[in-house]
Amino acid sequence: MTTTVPAGSLRPTTTTRTTVDIPPVGAVEITVADRDRSQPFLLLHGGGGVATMAGFADLLAERTHSRVLLPTHPGFGTTPRPDALHAVADLARAYVALLDRLGLADVTVIGNSFGGWLAAEIALLGSPRVSGAVLIDAVGIQVDGHPMADVGAMTRAELAAHSWHDPTRAPAPPPGAAGPGPDLQALAAYSGPSMSDPTLLDRLRELHLPVHVIWGESDRIVDTAHARAYAGALPLARLTILPRTGHLPQLETPEELLGALLDD
Amino acid sequence: MTTPLTVTRIGHSCHLVGFGATRVLTDPWFTTTATYYPGEPVASTVAALGHVDAVVVSHDHYDHCDLDALVDGGFDLGTPLLGPGTVTPIAAAKGFRDVRTIEAWQSEDVGDLTVTATPGRHGVHEVTFVIQAGGRTVFFGGDSLRIPEQDEIPRRFGAIDLALLPTNGLCIRPMNLQQVVMNAEQAAELAAVLRPALAIPHHYAFTSGRLGDRLITKSDRDPRHFAEAAARLAPGVAVRLVTPGTAVRLP
Ligand SMILES: [Zn+2]
Repeated sequence: MTTTVPAGSLRPTTTTRTTVDIPPVGAVEITVADRDRSQPFLLLHGGGGVATMAGFADLLAERTHSRVLLPTHPGFGTTPRPDALHAVADLARAYVALLDRLGLADVTVIGNSFGGWLAAEIALLGSPRVSGAVLIDAVGIQVDGHPMADVGAMTRAELAAHSWHDPTRAPAPPPGAAGPGPDLQALAAYSGPSMSDPTLLDRLRELHLPVHVIWGESDRIVDTAHARAYAGALPLARLTILPRTGHLPQLETPEELLGALLDD
Repeated sequence: MTTPLTVTRIGHSCHLVGFGATRVLTDPWFTTTATYYPGEPVASTVAALGHVDAVVVSHDHYDHCDLDALVDGGFDLGTPLLGPGTVTPIAAAKGFRDVRTIEAWQSEDVGDLTVTATPGRHGVHEVTFVIQAGGRTVFFGGDSLRIPEQDEIPRRFGAIDLALLPTNGLCIRPMNLQQVVMNAEQAAELAAVLRPALAIPHHYAFTSGRLGDRLITKSDRDPRHFAEAAARLAPGVAVRLVTPGTAVRLP
């Protein structure tokens, strides 16, 4: 499914009148025609919350001189989540509506873990505003013989051991952060107990968007068999495996992740 | 007294070529999708084109054969549309009532115009065109590769006033970087063979989007590379880099 729209219509030139004040002259009204053809990123965090993506958002914006949008999924970080919002597909539609509201185009959607699954669902919606997706250690699919690790049953130390190539690099947890918080409740609401959708892989076989699948070689939450399954299903995929990297490349090897993203 | 010859690039390979009052639209493209961006302003809507006497379409790729945009824009579907056999059935199915199939070295007359398909090659079946009226001759290169069969064009048509040439050397990454469009150097070689009074490059600003440019396509987006190569390889040929919407009048 390909949506065509009149050239220039996604981001029409907007003309505004702005008043600035320069003492002692006083108010000066300036009429500005604003044309925007920048190529923004929409960055989607995983179950660890927006903090797992904030540093990489800074890096990405600085190094690519781009606009980087990092939303907090509703329900994470004490933000409100409507009771009716409890499906990945609905959250995906909310983000496409956000891109419509912001008037963006040529958006690259990047997501890690749960955010990767969400990025795939956004790509599948066929919005003319979304030109590509990057799936980083994405959950969301089921691969025979390679079950996703049962993160709910893990201690913090076990989770770090599964998430990091080198768990000694994992940041110390903030004091008082113990037990399942609202983030985990929101994650469970969106992704269900299996953290996957058995229909996703087949739906991706029809996707005509470029997708870069980037994976940590040492990911023990969703291992590289998931990366190969994603890349094998997608018609326009590139697969990059990052060595000495676990489930959270943006935290463990951010420069290597950025390099893979920007490689020609 | 010669017929005035004018050309206005609409965007990409889409031009309005005027032989006096007779106007030909080439390779229409007026929309965008998630992975096809003109990369330059598109100088006209379909509705603003005004009267068109003929449409020529080199091949059936979306960015050259945006017939849906013509239909949606209220274009007169009685306008003669000329193209290879891969294009004309599509046009007929979309409601064009006067479609003419021409393959290499076949001609069709439309009023004062004579349109001849000339050799082309691309990822899919493609022809180029020589369009003539009132003693003026225009070569339209679509997004073809440079192939030896094109050397026959000047022998058959003599002096060429204007050549519209693709220059981005587009390569398809998933196909082992297979080249499907002539590059600036090859376009300059073709200009040396055709010896037009003026050559205008097109098909260079296009992008597949941020990720698509890395994963799907690779292309040269700098039209100066053609000007530089033509100065070297076709020194007698004037070159003008023309942004969309600029009307060029040939002497
Ligand atoms: Zn083409």
